[in-house]
Amino acid sequence: MYAPLKKAHNRPLLQVRGLKSYFFTRAGLVKAVDDVSFEIAAGETLALVGESGCGKSITSLSILRLLPEPGRVVDGEIIFDDHDLLRMPPNEIRRVRGNRISMIFQEPMTSLNPVLRIGEQIAEVLRLHRGMTNPEALAQAAELLTRVGIAAAESRLRDFPHQLSGGQRQRVMIAMALACDPQLLIADEPTTALDVTIQAQIMELLSNLGRDRQMATLLISHDLGVVAGYADRVAVMYAGKIVEYAAVGELFKNPAHPYTRGLLACIPRLGDKNPLPTIQGQPNDKHSATDGCAFLERCPTPCGSGGSKIPQLKEISPAHFVRCWRS
Amino acid sequence: MTPLLEVHDLAKTYRIPGKSGIKPAQLKAVDGISLQIAAGETLGLVGESGCGKSTLGKLILGLTPADRGDVLYRGKNLARLSDRQMRPYRRQLQMIFQDPFSSLNPRMTVSETLAEPLIIHRLCAPAQRQQRVAQLLDQVGLESAAADRYPHEFSGGQRQRVSIARALAVEPELIIADEPVSALDLSVQAQILNLLREIQLEHNLSYLFIAHDLAVVEHVSDRVAVMYLGKIVETAPAGELYHQPGHPYTEALLNAIPQPDPSRAGRPAPLQGEIPSPLNPPSGCSFHPRCPYATELCRQQEPELLSHGDNRQVACHHSDRVGHNKT
Repeated sequence: MYAPLKKAHNRPLLQVRGLKSYFFTRAGLVKAVDDVSFEIAAGETLALVGESGCGKSITSLSILRLLPEPGRVVDGEIIFDDHDLLRMPPNEIRRVRGNRISMIFQEPMTSLNPVLRIGEQIAEVLRLHRGMTNPEALAQAAELLTRVGIAAAESRLRDFPHQLSGGQRQRVMIAMALACDPQLLIADEPTTALDVTIQAQIMELLSNLGRDRQMATLLISHDLGVVAGYADRVAVMYAGKIVEYAAVGELFKNPAHPYTRGLLACIPRLGDKNPLPTIQGQPNDKHSATDGCAFLERCPTPCGSGGSKIPQLKEISPAHFVRCWRS
Repeated sequence: MTPLLEVHDLAKTYRIPGKSGIKPAQLKAVDGISLQIAAGETLGLVGESGCGKSTLGKLILGLTPADRGDVLYRGKNLARLSDRQMRPYRRQLQMIFQDPFSSLNPRMTVSETLAEPLIIHRLCAPAQRQQRVAQLLDQVGLESAAADRYPHEFSGGQRQRVSIARALAVEPELIIADEPVSALDLSVQAQILNLLREIQLEHNLSYLFIAHDLAVVEHVSDRVAVMYLGKIVETAPAGELYHQPGHPYTEALLNAIPQPDPSRAGRPAPLQGEIPSPLNPPSGCSFHPRCPYATELCRQQEPELLSHGDNRQVACHHSDRVGHNKT
């Protein structure tokens, strides 16, 4: 049985150290996540930012040990509340998933079961992890739906997912994720499929819930606007590696990696009609590279130094890390 | 001066047949829309999912027959033409779609894809075809070696370049671009937006640029039309719209854009409520249930789209009060 050890203070809730998740495909080895380390404290929101294929979703799936074949975590530690999730037996990790760490996904259309009433889907979590009877669980489900802002919750319990709008489905997903009062919420592109006015509602909801319950959040997003508004710290990923890691204010004010700078520059800003600065080339092409800086070919100021060596994360100012030869 | 394209009172209602227990219903996807596009101009069309913006694009091209209304292209009413009569005009009006993964034939090489419209419209002697294909590839920033490759060998951004080259092959005057960058990564989005601008200047093209992202639309457009539930609620020059929105919905869209600036103090309260179902639109002004300015008048009487100054039209009873809580 999984029981937390005595609470160690000043310890982050989650520590990921040297995580390596590789895919052993027929076409060759893909280092989807390559030596990634970060920490999240209780009540804090860390954003993992990057373009498609940079490894941000694979990082989150690795934490819950949900990597699809042919992917495998080959190295690293994921310390959650003093236990290494990677070395936990399967029956114990099942008690963590959906209970102490839960996850919401991008597609509220495909991540709910279409043939089960939503009340039933939320109640299932409570019966499984909290040992509630069915009437207790349904009553609790109604309360959760009210908390995530669904009106007339009692009557909505009997709805099927197709009877709800996209925003309401994402609220149901959040209710389900919060059912067991998790210590850590992993939100993988939680608003990407939603309209902009609904996105604002959902991000406000997540932010309020995190603050009220001291819940830590790992926010995975490609949208730097959302990240700027809701994260405390940011890790920028490129080709499986963290290339920059800093507090949100510092990162947006003093971006140091040329990739971070490029991303910030190419966002269209209201009122600005100038041609957009671009980053040349295609994102995350050089995944299986064993040597050299993965960003070299797209870099506007390629340095050529380092040759086949990979630059290490360097602390350029307190708590601001950058992986670049020039920093 | 007559505009290149003039749309008058275009409408499309979808009839949803009744099933056991479900009453037949009518969905007014596009409900009496008028707009104009001049040569060399970009009209941006923005709105959230289900507002009818894609249907409007298809109605203009005759890909979906309209119930009523006129589409005047250089004074000729396309809405009254048979398929055969329409064919020469298809050359003048081209379309680029959102998803470059499903809008290219996976069994055709890039060269075959680009040559097909040349053959159909008899634009090019067979001997010159390969030269023309190479020229098109060059225009969209692809290497000539791309001609012999298949769509699956390209990334999303490169596929969108192929789609743009295919639209350019017939030397159109107007391109309807339906969410051309929303499936692309940020760094690639900027490349494609710049490319669209370059070829516009080169060929004096007009665009109807359809998107849900107001920041992108504002960046590329000369004028912007905002749609809500099948109707245009505001049109204005892009810069004016941003400085002074005239419709509460435009204001809400502007406020909901997540800004990539963590130092911005406070976020405006997000718009309340869901987007109403177009099957059962609210009475009066269809925006009134979500509108912070709504009064009894708005519940009862639908506002007309009226001119405010020379360049702006707004459909709101209270437009003089809008725009003062802009952030």
